[in-house]
Order: sequence, then C-alpha cells, then structure tokens
Amino acid sequence: MARRRSASELSYGLVIGSLAALALVVLVGPILIVLATSFTDSRSIRFPPQGFSFRWYELLLDEVRSRQIHRAVGNTLHVAVVAAGLATLGGTAAALGISRVAGKAGRLADALFMSPLVLPGLAFGLAALMYFTLLGFRPSLELIIAGHLVVVTPFVLRTVGASLSQLDPALLDASRSLGAGPVHTFRRVTLPLIAPGIAAGAFLAFMASVDNVPVSLFLSSARTDMLPIRMWGMMESTLDVRVAAVSGTLILVAFLLMLVMERLTGLTRRMRG
Amino acid sequence: MAWWLRKAGIEGETRVQFRPVPPAMTEAASLRGHTLDVLGLGVRYGAFTALDNVGLSVRAGEVLALLGPSGCGKTTLLRTVAGFVRQTAGRVLIDGAGIDDLPPNRRRVGIVFQNYALFPHMTVAENVAYGLKARREAAPRIAARVAELLEMVQLGALRDRRPAQLSGGQQQRVALARALAIEPSILLLDEPFAALDRSLRLDMQIEIKRLQRQLGLTAILVTHDQDEAMSVADRIAVMRRGRIEQLGAPVEVYDQPATLFVAGFIGTTNRLPCTVDGMARLRLADGTPLPVPAGALPPGPALLTVRPEQLELRDEAGPGCFPVELGLALPLGGQTVREARLADGTPIRLTEPRLGAIRDLGARAFCGLAPGARPALFPRPTPEEE
Repeated sequence: MARRRSASELSYGLVIGSLAALALVVLVGPILIVLATSFTDSRSIRFPPQGFSFRWYELLLDEVRSRQIHRAVGNTLHVAVVAAGLATLGGTAAALGISRVAGKAGRLADALFMSPLVLPGLAFGLAALMYFTLLGFRPSLELIIAGHLVVVTPFVLRTVGASLSQLDPALLDASRSLGAGPVHTFRRVTLPLIAPGIAAGAFLAFMASVDNVPVSLFLSSARTDMLPIRMWGMMESTLDVRVAAVSGTLILVAFLLMLVMERLTGLTRRMRG
Repeated sequence: MAWWLRKAGIEGETRVQFRPVPPAMTEAASLRGHTLDVLGLGVRYGAFTALDNVGLSVRAGEVLALLGPSGCGKTTLLRTVAGFVRQTAGRVLIDGAGIDDLPPNRRRVGIVFQNYALFPHMTVAENVAYGLKARREAAPRIAARVAELLEMVQLGALRDRRPAQLSGGQQQRVALARALAIEPSILLLDEPFAALDRSLRLDMQIEIKRLQRQLGLTAILVTHDQDEAMSVADRIAVMRRGRIEQLGAPVEVYDQPATLFVAGFIGTTNRLPCTVDGMARLRLADGTPLPVPAGALPPGPALLTVRPEQLELRDEAGPGCFPVELGLALPLGGQTVREARLADGTPIRLTEPRLGAIRDLGARAFCGLAPGARPALFPRPTPEEE
C-alpha cells in the first residue's frame, strides 16, 4: 500500500516536474538566447555568440547610424503613452458604468468592450486600414493611436472591473450615510480603493501597445515607423544584431517595470482576478 | 492593563467598558430627543412586496428593535429610513419633518453596518473623522472630536491602526464612533452584534445600551436574534413578510403574542391543538376541559400556545390536567427542561424546578397549567395559512 502510494506520488512529481521544465525551456529559453546573442562580437545574429562585447548596444545608441530605430522608438513610446492614457481613462469610466448597470445590458456592454481581445488582431488591423482609408484619412500616428486604443482598452476594463467587484458596496453606503455626496465618495473611497487596478490596467495597456504588431503592421507607414515593424524589417533584410540588442533592452525595461508594478499594485494577483 | 498589552491591541477581545461620556457630549442637544415616524411605508420591487403599509413611531431616546426572520423586510425598512431605498408609498419623518426627498448624505442618520464597513485604506482616526471632513468642519475641531470619541470607545491607543489590524470588537467600536461623530439624529444598528462571539456580544450590547442611554440617542436595531432584541430594545417590532405583526415592549410581546407567528418566533412555545365548543369552553384534543377563557374565538379548531414555564407536572389527575408520558430531562442551571408527549403524541416542553424529585424517563404523569399562567389562544390555521 505504502509502496504504491509513493510510486504514484513519484510519478505525479515526475509529470509536474517535467512540465515545469518544459515550460522553462520554451518560455525562458528564447529570452536567454536572445539576451546572450545581443552581446556577441560577430557581425550576424548567430547562436552561440562569438566573443563578448557591448558593440551592438553602443551602435544602438549611436544617434546617426541608428536614427531610424530611434525614430521608431519615439513613435512607439508616443503611441503607447497616449493610447494607454486614453485607454486608462476610457476603460475606467467604462468599468464604472458597467458595474452600475445590472443584468443583460451590463453584460452586453462588457462583452463588446472585451471583444477586441478575441477578434484576430490581423483582421482588425486590415479592417481599420480599409475603414480609415475609406474615410479619407492619411496614415498618421493618430490613426495608430486610435487602432491601439481599441485593442488595449480591454486590459484596463478587466483590471478595474476586478477591483470594482471586490469593492464592498456597504463602504459606499457608509460614506453616503456619513454625509459625503457622490463626488466626495468617489474621490475619497472608490478611487483610492480601485487605484491599484487602474495602475495595473495602465501598465498592461502600455506594454500591449509597445509590442503590438498586427495593428501597427497595417496602419504604420515609412513616416510613422513603429519599433516592432522596424525590427522585423531589419531582421528580414540584414540579420542586424541590433535587433537582438533592442530585444535585450525591451526585456530589461519590461522586467524593471514589472517589478515596480508588482511592488505598487500586486500586478500578478490582479491578472489572476 | 499593562501599556504594552494595550499597545499590542491584546486587550481587544477581553472585557471592554466604554469611558463615561464626556460632559460636552451629554449636554449637546443635537443627539438628544429626536423622534422617528414611519407612516404607511411600502416598498415594491416589481411584483415582490418588500414592505407593506408599515407604520411605527420611535420615541425620543428609545431603542426599537426590528425583529424577524431573514427576508421579512427589516433590512429594507432600515435602508428606506437611511435613504438607500426609495419607498413606493408612505412617508418617513424625523422630528415631524419629512425626509423622503433628502439623499442619504443629508439625512443625518448614523449607521453601524453588519460588517462594520470601515474604510480599509484609512486609519482608525481617519475613519472616525470621515463624516466631519465631508462636512468641511475646521481641522482643530475635527481633531478634538475624534480624540474625544476614540477616548470614549477606548481606542485612543489604536488611532493609527488600519481596520485590518483590529479585532472584530475593536472594529465595531470604530464603526460606532464613526457613526456618532456626525451627531446623528437617529442611530441605525444593522445586526451589529452578529459577527461577534458570544461573550463579547453581551459586553457590547451592555455598553451600547449604556451609551445610548447616556446620550439620549434614538436608535433602531435590526436583528434576527430574539435574545438581543429582548435585552437591548425598549420596544420590539416583530416583522414578517413585509408587515409588522406586533409592536410592543419585550415582556408584552413575550407574554401576549398577537399572532401565532409571534408566539412561535419569540421564545419557546408549545402548540396544543384544542377545540372551542358551542359553550365557548376550551377542550384539549383528548377532551380534557382547560380553564382558559375562549369567548373571543368562534367555535371550532383552535391552537393554545403555552410557554414551558406556564406548565407544571403533577402526580395525580385533577381538573384541567391531562396525562403525559415523560421524555428526556435537560438540567439547565436553575431549572430542568423536560420533554414530554401528550396521549395523542404531541410533543411538549415544560420546565420543572430542580429542587423537586426527579421523575423517571418514560414515567406517566399529569400536566396542567401553572397557577396564574395566561396562555394565548388562536384559531387553528389551515395548512395553507402556515
């Protein structure tokens, strides 16, 4: 009996352990490879890297020779900041509205706002391009912002909605009974209690905009180059090692932001909710 | 108590006695002498009637308990008075003036919520100060008042704690101080003791009662616990299905239940099936005539509700006595609760004094009404009415 149980425990541990190892290999492996490659001394992307140097990072920082990359980074940050900012405002307002509308109408509005997460990004990118062209718009950063806004708002709606569902309605009643009007109640009770959810949503929306490919692919042009598109272009034409250096930088920045957000808001807890 | 114990908050769940109310507060006219009148109040949600023509008056300085099973409308009544629920009929008056059109934040009704509803992101002192800040009182006045209230509920040492760092009893005291800070004209207590353990509950009931007396507060207590209603309230309104079944002093509600439901809901009661005959005499199902006036009822089946202490056991048959078979005896302190069965199998409970000889399980004896007992008599309901 004891022997059999220990055997089943062993096989259980073995399965879980190998799954974990597989996940590590698949998820973390590529990141380590790209990081290692970015420090290569050779002139092309190849693994294992030849020698060790910072030359590709230095080249990446070179204002003249990496001008196009810098412009793409500028565009990407501009779009991400504006899109995430608008998405935070709109998503929070939408979540507040949906939390107050009970029943079918609320669920329908929620489903509509969340649909961009389900809709294939490529289909939406193409549709947005055709639609904007039809309306007579020329490619511009504003159009990309509009496109990104649609696909990053669901992140804010989700995290703020989760915060609101954990907000005890008795707290709002208590505030009202103590003489506070709706505005005072919102500022002093609702907002502080859902602030971590808003911050988490803003962070997720920002990151989703930074590495969005499908929408940018259709809506960007030579003038409004976006970083992911530029990286793909460099990779396709020249196997430029700076692509690895850009990836390394992105990984580092995302990791640091993640640490900050975890500290501030318990991000991973919120994403589970 | 040692300072370090107090600092660690360990004194929380032991006996707490509130400080005497500061003279400035007892003299404040604002807390004293407010009345609440509810006139013909009705609340409907679609086809569901939550409150049906409810009327009651709470006198100045009185505690009125709303007692009833869950879903009886007592919480709806409380929320309507507070302004969270808009009535479909009737009026609510404080000091004779209608407050129906005021939003909850302008009614000056203090509430202690069931789960206390303390603001988790604020300290104890900030929670108590909340209502005063919302009213834009001057900062020095707020500080003085918060200190005074925290001192009164013995929480001065914990003023910078967050609610999550407090015990249940401490949280309740913060909730009470916070509600009193706005000098409410009416205090609403929504099952405030439900989350406390038994020994602490009694302490808090006594302390809140004492405080209410000293301040002259008018209060409504919502509860489903009849002992709590009995011990804290001056009068009890027993509610069922959105209506008030009976409103009266605790003793009155216990001794003279107006309806069969009240008789069954308050205290323990025996229901003896009887018949009223054409001569307005009451007979038990086995034919024993009972010395209970039945003139108020038409002839036909009836139910006599008798408290356990209104019955007594005798060894010999006598007038008004019926035979019973004795069951288990449960010694509860000064009395023994005895289970028994009538000849037709109806189970009853009665109390015996502990000093008497203990009768055996399964023995036969006779049971009759104790001298002076005034049991309540009702027409026997049909199964649908129950």
